[in-house]
This record gives sequence, structure tokens and C-alpha cells, in this order.
Amino acid sequence: MIRSTAPRSLALAAGIAASALALSACAPAAPADGPVEWELTETTADPSGDIDSFSWASYAEPFSLDYAYAFDYADNQVLANVCESLLRLNPDYTLGPGLAESWENPTPTTSVFTIRDGVTFHDGTPLTAADVVASLSRHLDPAVGSFWYSVYQNVVSIEQTGDREVTVTTAVPDVQFALSMGGSAGVIESAAALAAAGADYGNSTGGVNCTGPFELAEWKSGESITLTRYDDYWDPELAARAGEVEFLFMTDANARVNALKSGDVDGSWMIPPASYRQLQDSSDGDLYFGLTSAVSSLVVSDLEGPLGDLRVRKALLMALDRQGIVDAAAEGVGEVTDVLTTESVWGAADDATRTTAFDDIESYPYDVEAAKALVEEAGAAGGEIVIATAPLGPDVTMLAQATAAAAESIGLTATIETVTPGAYTALFSDPSAREGIDLFYTNWYLSSPDPLEMYSVLRTGEFSNYGGWSDPEFDEIVTAASGMKDAEERNAETAKAQQIANEQLPWLPIYTAPMSVFVGERITGVAPSIAFLYYPWAATVGAR
Amino acid sequence: MIAARRVAGKLGGLLLTLFLASLLVFFSRFLVPGDPVQFLLRGRKPSPEAVAEVTAMYGLDLPPWQQYLNWVTGVLHGDFGRSLQFRQDVTTVIGDRLPVTLMLVVMAGTMIAVVGIAAGALAAVSQGRALDRAVLIGLTILGAIPSFVGSIVLIAVFAVQLGWFPSFGAGEGFFDQLYHLVLPATALAIVFTVLVGKVTRSAMVEQLDREHVEVATSRGIRRGTVVRRHVFRNALWPILTVSGLLVAGLLVASSIVEAAFGLAGIGSLLVQSVDRLDFPVVQAIVLLIVTAFVLVNAVVDVLEPWIDPRTAAGAGAR
Repeated sequence: MIRSTAPRSLALAAGIAASALALSACAPAAPADGPVEWELTETTADPSGDIDSFSWASYAEPFSLDYAYAFDYADNQVLANVCESLLRLNPDYTLGPGLAESWENPTPTTSVFTIRDGVTFHDGTPLTAADVVASLSRHLDPAVGSFWYSVYQNVVSIEQTGDREVTVTTAVPDVQFALSMGGSAGVIESAAALAAAGADYGNSTGGVNCTGPFELAEWKSGESITLTRYDDYWDPELAARAGEVEFLFMTDANARVNALKSGDVDGSWMIPPASYRQLQDSSDGDLYFGLTSAVSSLVVSDLEGPLGDLRVRKALLMALDRQGIVDAAAEGVGEVTDVLTTESVWGAADDATRTTAFDDIESYPYDVEAAKALVEEAGAAGGEIVIATAPLGPDVTMLAQATAAAAESIGLTATIETVTPGAYTALFSDPSAREGIDLFYTNWYLSSPDPLEMYSVLRTGEFSNYGGWSDPEFDEIVTAASGMKDAEERNAETAKAQQIANEQLPWLPIYTAPMSVFVGERITGVAPSIAFLYYPWAATVGAR
Repeated sequence: MIAARRVAGKLGGLLLTLFLASLLVFFSRFLVPGDPVQFLLRGRKPSPEAVAEVTAMYGLDLPPWQQYLNWVTGVLHGDFGRSLQFRQDVTTVIGDRLPVTLMLVVMAGTMIAVVGIAAGALAAVSQGRALDRAVLIGLTILGAIPSFVGSIVLIAVFAVQLGWFPSFGAGEGFFDQLYHLVLPATALAIVFTVLVGKVTRSAMVEQLDREHVEVATSRGIRRGTVVRRHVFRNALWPILTVSGLLVAGLLVASSIVEAAFGLAGIGSLLVQSVDRLDFPVVQAIVLLIVTAFVLVNAVVDVLEPWIDPRTAAGAGAR
């Protein structure tokens, strides 16, 4: 449902160290004068027509195209075009009908989906309610070990309750279950294909058989994945404009940027910030920034240490020159934030709710003197904190150094502990890996248009509440909101939770940076949005 | 007879080496911090049943010695287990990537041999003169360029600026692959070429000072013939010994070059697998590299008497 940047940054990391070197060597050095100029783009120009094929660079190879393990940018950006979910997460982060033409929560513990008629899998067989039951039930199978288990943790049954109807029952009120059905947790695969592929389902040998606008044609492991248009696709709105899409795995950031510049590749999501300026000046295509649901923040993972005192957490946040961090780590493309969600996930929230969530909150302006005073007031001067980091990318490294400097500037003693990328990932899952660590960085994004997704993980005892933070009032609000069917009502409660998190700072919000995409001179039609993880974005891409 | 006994002896040593290597390769994974199961679940929130199930599925619940026995038995049957990251048989994962690396290593090896020996020989025969110095200085400069820097410069100049070669990928079909691998093979070859060049030069210089060369020269045999028959042939042994050692070096160094050029070879796979605690893949690749290294050196050893007749005579006298 929610994840850290760790795996993403991992792949970005490989080439970044080298890229600065290379870029200064081979390109006329861009004058480093101030931040890159940017604005949000909702969609790029409509294609002038269809295109035979286009190529796309991915920073990494998907581990698997099995939706149960599709939990990262690399997997989902491909899978979103091949496999479809019960609901569809649109580029503007609204949720609409997908393979379920409608859905409702007759009670807070049941979600009922009406399965669309006339949909076929890529092998030509029709979609049935039995396929839906089989696909969803895999997440409950321990032998599968689904990464999306947290979405299903309250589920007690998944049953066919009509010819074209499937009902999911949860043990406790959980309206978020249905809201998660627009992501990979809601992907539907043919039951027969699942049974036939067995353990190889979704890997480069076993492949997948879904209902999306593209079908998987070839997976050359380590190199590329080719998708071809599925001619019998059910939704004329999203019928593919391209006959073929080739995803090329380019782990080296420098190689990726070079390929984009030379026109060897037509586009890519998530451009390394260091090359924003170069690609913006490039005449070979356009760089766009779009909607994100991610916030970069520092997780406070030890509340027994100096950061257990709220005044010290506040002081540290105030001692961080967050605008400076945005400029340095993201070339200025981003905004400082004091809360853990972006406005994009608040969907239909009304003005009053938005005011509660984003205006009636505490801001933490850069003020070292005031911060120092807070630390002294707390009697925490000289306190020691440990910041974990890993060679994952310039943003991660920079933030660790800036945090250490900020801590030192207010009288704390800070140590940076550099661990391997693998060990860094373990911080997010293994409590023993977090021992002795006070802070670590994450870029946390939401997979559903519901800000409650963020705050439900900060309840007492939740898996991802890494510091063991606990606030009974907060827990009560979030749990009550989880059972609220009415989005307006739920958002209003979530806004209160956001206020508490903003006031108590279980995590320190730093900034939010838009999703970047580069589109080469041959193609257009992509909607720049982090929804590319779940929305068949390649279907709308055609000739420029 | 001698040769046969020699080969048999080598074979025994080889098997022992491989056995010890397999122990080292397998058990070293228990020294690495990190839980493979946590990797399998990649930091996601699993159900406790899923953790138990996944642990059992990969045999990670068994005592280490039993895991080793299962692994070795599998390896002897050509089964290296299943990759944790790709959820696929290790043999498939490696099999898909091996051809690129082999081709890269063969191309780089050819470049190293041709350029290195030519440069070394050239320097040796013009020993002490300007050409010798020029070659030596050239080699020293090249030798100071790490593979990743070489890769970056080659891409910047020949792929991005001049557009002569592709900047990434391995290409389709034999000739396209050759074309795609020119830059990566060059990047990989640079450092090793220097090594071979220097060894060739010193080995040949040493031979040039030998008595039998002087005798041959004084008998009026043409210089070219003397260099070929007497100098180069006797210098070949140290060159081959170094080349044997280079094989493992090439396989390991290929990881850097493969990453820079976006090649799906076993070098980049190794780095990726170490990072992701994908033990079955790491073990298979390391075992593969060790085996290649041991085999090549055994072959060089066995070939020795044919190359250098004095060694055979010496062995016979023992």
C-alpha cells in the first residue's frame, strides 16, 4: 500500500555518483544559477495519430510481473499497462470503475463489486467472477507471501455472491479496502492462467495473462520487456495508440540520460534531478512535472532518545533549512511541507476540510536560534542522535548530512551511520535493524486517493509506526474514520489526524517533489502523474 | 606418461579446490548480515504464516549443513536453486545473461592479447629508445584509468558526441552484438592490456639479454626470426600465466562495465544480487567464476611443457 523510496533509490544510486562526473565532462557545463524552473502539467498534447512503437527507459528491471509482488516503480509502471484492477486510479488520483463497473459498501465490513461484462483476457477467455475471487484470494495465501497483505489484513472472506458479483467481508469496518482496489492489490488475472503457470507465474518465463490495453509479448531478462497492443481490449477510451512499447532496463542513471538525449529511447519516468536542467534545455523532447502523492520525510524511529521530547523534534525540524535541501537535492523542483500528505490524495475534500488539513496547522520556519532555545528548554543539549543513511542517491545522502548539521547547530551530537542499501531497506521491516537509530529518511507515497492511508499506519502498534509513537486521541480518530463510508465525513476526520501528526511530529515532513517524466520528440499523450503506477498510461501515447 | 600423470594430478587438485570453494561460497552467506526472508518480503508487512511458508519454501528453516548438502546435490545436477529476487530458477536467470558476458570477455580478451602483446613486443625490441619510452608512458597513463572512468569517457565521446556506437544494450544477432560490445570491451580491456603489455615487455627484454639470443644473433640469423623463435617463444610462458590470472579479473571487472553500458551480463547481475541478498544467484556466479579461474589456470599449467620445453625436462628430472 505504501512504501519507501529505498528500492527505487537503490537503482538510481548506481549511476548517480558517476553521472555528475560524466555530465560535467561531456556537456557544456550548465551554469548552476538557482533552481530549475518548473510547473505542474496535467497532460501533454494529444497525439496526432497512432504510432507503430516507442521505447521507454526504466531505471530497473521488474522483479516480477506477478501483481502480488508488484510493489515498486519498476514493476508497476509496466504492469499498469498489462493488468487491470477492479477499480481504476486516474491520473488526477480519482478512483473510477475498472473491471468492476460499480462497487459499494452496503455495510462498513462488506465491499461488493459488480464485475464488468464483455471483458476478455489476452488469451481470449472471458472475465468471470471466479477469476476475481481467485485473483484476490491469492493475497490471503501464505505460500504466495503477497506484498499487499496489509490491504487484506482484515479480510475474512472473498466470495462470489452472484453471477457477476463478488463480496469481500472484513472483520472490522474497513472502507479503505475498496479504495485500495485501484492499485496492484486489486489486479485481476485469469484463474486458469494462475493455475497453469504455478510458481513461475509473473516471472520472465511464466508471464501474465490479463485484460489491459497491452499484452506481454517478450521479456528478455536483464534487458527489456516488450508489450504489444491487445486488439480486443474492452475500453475504447483507452485502446492503445501504439502498436508496441519496449521497456529498456537502464540501471545506470547516466546511461539513461544519455539515451534520452541521443534519442535512442523515447521517454522515461523519474528523471535524476541532476539532469533536469540538461533535459529541459534539450531540443530532443520535453521534461514535465506532474502530480505526486509522495512526501519526503524523516522517520523518528527512537522515541526513547532525545527525540522523545516533542520540543527537540520541533527544534530539529526548525533547524533544517528545508528550502535549501529542496534546492540541493531536487534542483529546486519541489515544495517544503509541514504535513505528511499531498493535496492530491484528498480527492473530493471540501474547502473547510482542506483548510483544517493544510492551513490550520503549525508551520516550522527555519529558525536556528528559536530551535536552540527549545533544545535548552528541553534540557537536551549534548544529546546524541544517530541518523541512518545508505548510498542510495544524492537526495538521501544530502538529507542525512543536512540533518546532522542541523542537529549539531542546535546543540545535539549527531552521528551518520551509513549502511548498505539492503540494510537500509531492512529498517522498514525489521525492528532489530532500527536499534540504535534515531532517524531515517523516506519518500512515502500513497496508492489510493485517501489520505487516511497515510495516517492509519501511524496508529499505535502498526507495522510502519517505526518509532512506536502513540497518541490515543489520534488512534481513536483514525480508527473511527476507517469505518466511515461517506468520503466527506472521513476526510474531515482525517484532517484532524493530520493536525495531530503535524503537531506531534512522529515523522518530520521535509518536502514534496513532483513526478518527473521526459517525453522524446517522436511521441506525446502521456499524463504526468504518479498514477502511472496503476493507470494504463502507455495506452494514450501516440505520434507527436 | 608424464603428461597423463600430470593431468591426473591437476584434476585431483582441481576437484579439491572446487570443493573447498563450494564450502566457502556457501557458508560465507551465513556471515553476511541480513535475513533472506526479509529480503523476499522486501520490507513489506507479511503475515506470520507467510514468513513461515516462505522460509520453508526456500529451505531456509533447515540447519546450515543440510542446506549445504541440498545445494551441492542440486549443483551437481545442474540445479542452483531459485533466485529470490526474480522468483525464477537460477540456471534460467544466469543462462539468460551468460552469453553477453562471455562475448564481452572474449572480445576484451582478444583486444588485450593483440594490443598488449604487440605494444609490449614493440617496446622490448626498441628497448631504451624513444619508442620504448613512448609505449611505456602510454601504458602507464592508460593503466591509471579505472574501468568506470573509461566507460564514461568512451560513451561521452563515441556514443553521445560522435554517435558512432550505441551507448547501451547488447544488440540482436551476432554482428550487431559485436558492434554493440566494441565500446564496453574496450573499456574492460584497457587496464588489462597495460598489464599484459608490461609483462610482455619485461619477459622479452629478459630473453633478449640471454646468451642463446646472443649466440643466435652472432650466427647471423635474421633479427626477426630470432625475436620470434627465441625471444617471444620463451617469453610466452609468463605472458600466458598472467593471462590465466586475468580471466577471473575480467569476469569480476565486467560488472562495472556492464552496469555502465546497460548490459545484462552476469557481472551486473552479481552486483545486483549481492545488494539484494539473493544468495542462490551470488553463490552460483561466484562458483562459476572460481571454476572458470581454476580451469583456465589448470589448462595453462597443463600446456606449460608444450610451450616451454625446459619445464618438461625439469619435471622429468625430478
